Amino acid sequence: MTMNASRRAFLQRASALSLAGTAAPWALNLAAMGEAAAATATDYKALVCVFLYGGNDYGNTLIPVDTASYAAYQGMRPTLAYPLASLAATTLAPMILASDGSTRQYALAPELAPLMPLFTSGKMGVMLNVGTLIQPTTKAQYTAQSVPLPPKLFSHNDQQSVWQSSAPEGAASGWGGRMGDLFVAGNGNATFTCVNVSGNAVFLSGGTAVQYQVSTSGPVAFSGLAAPLFGSAACSTALQSLVTGPRTHLFENEYTRVAKRSIDAGSVLTTALATAPAITTPFPAGNALADQLKFVARMISTATTTSTKRQVFFVSIGGFDTHDGLAAIHPGLLTTVADALAAFNQSTIELGVASQVTTFTASDFGRTLTANDGSDHGWGSMHFMLGGAVNGGRFYGTAPVVGNGGPDDVGQGRLLPSTGVDQYAATLGKWFGISDTDLLSVLPNLGNYNPSQRNLGFV
Amino acid sequence: MDVTEVEVIDTKRAEPESAPRVAAASAVALMAATLAACGGGGSSGSGTGTGGGGGGSGSGTPPTVAEASRFLAQASMGASRTDIARVQVLGYSAWLDEQFAMAPSTSRWDALVAGGYADPSFRNTEGGFDASAWRKLLSSPDTLRQRVTLALSEIFVTAIDSLTGSGWKAFAAANYLDLLEANAFGNHRTLLQQISTNTAMGMFLTFRASIKGDPFSGALPDENYAREVMQLFTIGLVQLNLDATPQLTGGATTYTYGLSDITGLARVFTGWDFDLAGQSRAVASATPDFVRRPMINYAARYETGAKTFLGTTIPAGVDAVSCLTMALDAIFAHSNVAPFTSRQLIQRLVTSNPSPAYVARIATVFNNDGSGTKGNLKAVIKAILLDDEARSASVAATASAGKLREPMLRFAGWARAWNVASPSNVWAVGNTSDAATRLGQSPLRSPSVFNFFRPGYVPPNSAIATALLVAPEFQITNESTVVGAVNFLQRAISGGVGDLAADYTSLLALADDAVALVAEINLVLAANQLSAATAATISGALATMASGSDPTRQKRIYAGLTLAIAAPDFVVLK
Repeated sequence: MTMNASRRAFLQRASALSLAGTAAPWALNLAAMGEAAAATATDYKALVCVFLYGGNDYGNTLIPVDTASYAAYQGMRPTLAYPLASLAATTLAPMILASDGSTRQYALAPELAPLMPLFTSGKMGVMLNVGTLIQPTTKAQYTAQSVPLPPKLFSHNDQQSVWQSSAPEGAASGWGGRMGDLFVAGNGNATFTCVNVSGNAVFLSGGTAVQYQVSTSGPVAFSGLAAPLFGSAACSTALQSLVTGPRTHLFENEYTRVAKRSIDAGSVLTTALATAPAITTPFPAGNALADQLKFVARMISTATTTSTKRQVFFVSIGGFDTHDGLAAIHPGLLTTVADALAAFNQSTIELGVASQVTTFTASDFGRTLTANDGSDHGWGSMHFMLGGAVNGGRFYGTAPVVGNGGPDDVGQGRLLPSTGVDQYAATLGKWFGISDTDLLSVLPNLGNYNPSQRNLGFV
Repeated sequence: MDVTEVEVIDTKRAEPESAPRVAAASAVALMAATLAACGGGGSSGSGTGTGGGGGGSGSGTPPTVAEASRFLAQASMGASRTDIARVQVLGYSAWLDEQFAMAPSTSRWDALVAGGYADPSFRNTEGGFDASAWRKLLSSPDTLRQRVTLALSEIFVTAIDSLTGSGWKAFAAANYLDLLEANAFGNHRTLLQQISTNTAMGMFLTFRASIKGDPFSGALPDENYAREVMQLFTIGLVQLNLDATPQLTGGATTYTYGLSDITGLARVFTGWDFDLAGQSRAVASATPDFVRRPMINYAARYETGAKTFLGTTIPAGVDAVSCLTMALDAIFAHSNVAPFTSRQLIQRLVTSNPSPAYVARIATVFNNDGSGTKGNLKAVIKAILLDDEARSASVAATASAGKLREPMLRFAGWARAWNVASPSNVWAVGNTSDAATRLGQSPLRSPSVFNFFRPGYVPPNSAIATALLVAPEFQITNESTVVGAVNFLQRAISGGVGDLAADYTSLLALADDAVALVAEINLVLAANQLSAATAATISGALATMASGSDPTRQKRIYAGLTLAIAAPDFVVLK
């Protein structure tokens, strides 16, 4: 696997460089960045994507509390709105101008209180109204359909995919994986470049980088290899050969590739984990997201042992598709997220890598602001970036006007994003050590933005 | 434009796996050629080209043991010697008819009641559900019906852990599977009607208690079911040809619906809620009966105004029940329903990558079963399983034939092959979802309405992707699950899961002869698809183990089964 990846990277670089000046700019960019990244990544950095599956309800995540917009918010979701008084402790001090020139103030949902110290200490920033876009898009352009729009808007599986990869379901690679591609060659073990602790996500699939899917308890070993299979060493040998050998049938071969990767990476990681420093930061119990993030912290603690310079992680939590019962369900989800993120941030401080780990949230889409017992599929949303390197304590992007059919929503409070995912990703990628040129390859829509708008500066 | 992006990415990965390490100059030439080829490219995503003609009937010479075993791997929860013999005696078609006519076994609901789970102490638990589901999958004699029910549960998805708000989750989930089972050989339109008033679906896709719009706050009815009933259950996102390939206009796909269709259709699904049979909520919810009754409409919450969607308008004033029927009729009339459903059923039973012609043949039957009826699932299932492309040995021999057996089917395959029983009748398999230690999959426990895997899933960085094929089950095939499933099955095989007990009598008689033992496992469990090399690897290892006594024979059986069940030749059903 490692050899294969290296060979592919070699060929890719070689071919692309030779094609300079021909009609393959993406390949050229890939090659150039591959060389550059491999040469410069001497320190350690990690990106951690926290994906909120189902489409997080932005309206009850970041609540507008200035008088006019709180009234609008409360009017659009009378049965779901947080009482103003309950938001006093989590009101964020900075004010920001909204798109219509009015002054906006926001509060975090009360359940996000564990993140308040991060915001106030400048370690967490808030990204306003970010979402999938092909290019900057005005309301008039949306209405007239005069510019390309993201495919299959408002559909869960497709918008998850567009967020993660810039293409709808069926995409072959995501931007986390494509960022990983640039650093595979510089990592001691290619397999640990893109690590998914929550299953499978196109986000972490690259052109060469393969996402390593690991459980929160770490690598799982075949019982029949850990000990002689029903007492027979010969059977263990047979098992190893059956599940790792190359096959002619495409599906059979893919199965054995996965199993071989599991065995090979598992043995390296198990050894590394055994000698890694213990993490004493308490993580909340009964919190599946915290379990995942704790394992991310443990993997980070092995980076030196495995000579890993750059890692992209993916963790997730589901349940955000709050069509009904929002008032009963959503606060608990936010509590889970806040507790997990706060603990994870603390663990990076304990490991001494707080400034080398940047964590950010993402989700299928935002939701409607108008609500019945819950809210429906939307578009733009609010997200959080945290870590020692984040220029926090402030907002990024543009505050939308709270409305139903207003200047910033396409009806029902479905926000038309004023910041594209590509800009959000490019800012993270720039910090990760990716050149401006290379980011254009990683993020196919980035070139549609003015160069001065590609780095939002939050990290 | 998304097509272009995918092509760019594909091009990057289009480098042949076998490309030798070559000097840069040669690599340039190679890559340039590859680029040119891909640049020209938009080839279709279809897999095996096949010369499948009409639907073979399976008449003529009786199936061989291997052929019957392979047929059962597609048409049942797993082959056994008894079933293989039955298929050989009857032939494929008559065996299907016998299965169609077979009486259902005890319902999941009744099993829950008999197990004492209707006691109020279980109201807020999932108690008994997993057992009720596994009992059917592992042991119910109507094995074709169970296989189709499982398939339907992966298309019309609900999941027990999301059935919140009423208590009695186990009963709601069991009733939902019972509903799918009752319609497995019925009509797709009837199934659609029934799931659209089913309480589990109402809870899962949240249209239970959805209310008409509120002009004051601007609230509109819940759009969840309106969206998914079209996207996932009936027509999908883009206009399809009869063979399920997308209709292209100027190279672009056409959406089947837009946001206004969703908001229009959502108005239909208002006012529906539990039928409490005139009782108070407190009284009615003391027993699970209310989750079994179809939802009824509450006029005060129903949107009486006109509903416009998919080019249809249901006029204002139509009553809720008629409106629901009219709306589902309009959806069912869409030309996508046949190809959309047919392709997915083929994928669940036979192959991940049916040829467009195969899909078109099945969709034709879906549209008209020969008597003018659309949606006859019995006819569709029969056509799928008897089609030349399903039965052809030459198709099965190609390098991309078939599908990965999902973990639940691997488990059931073992259980069925050796008549696994639960001596205490508790079927204590439990929730098998844990990816690291169990199957990474469990009945009616998909993480979302998008099932455990999507019909169009492509494993990244794979030769499958390079070949422009899909492999849905690979979405849950990863470094944890490939190991976790084998470890779980190893435990099951050796009697370590609940009280499940296999009958290895037939294998004990062969176990001293490693070659014969493996041959038997291969025929019954693996449709005789373990390659000669794999069989030799396994028998060679088994031959080194002690023999001559029942304890030693047992170890040989355990080891042989574990190796076979881990082998890629078994994991992928051709």
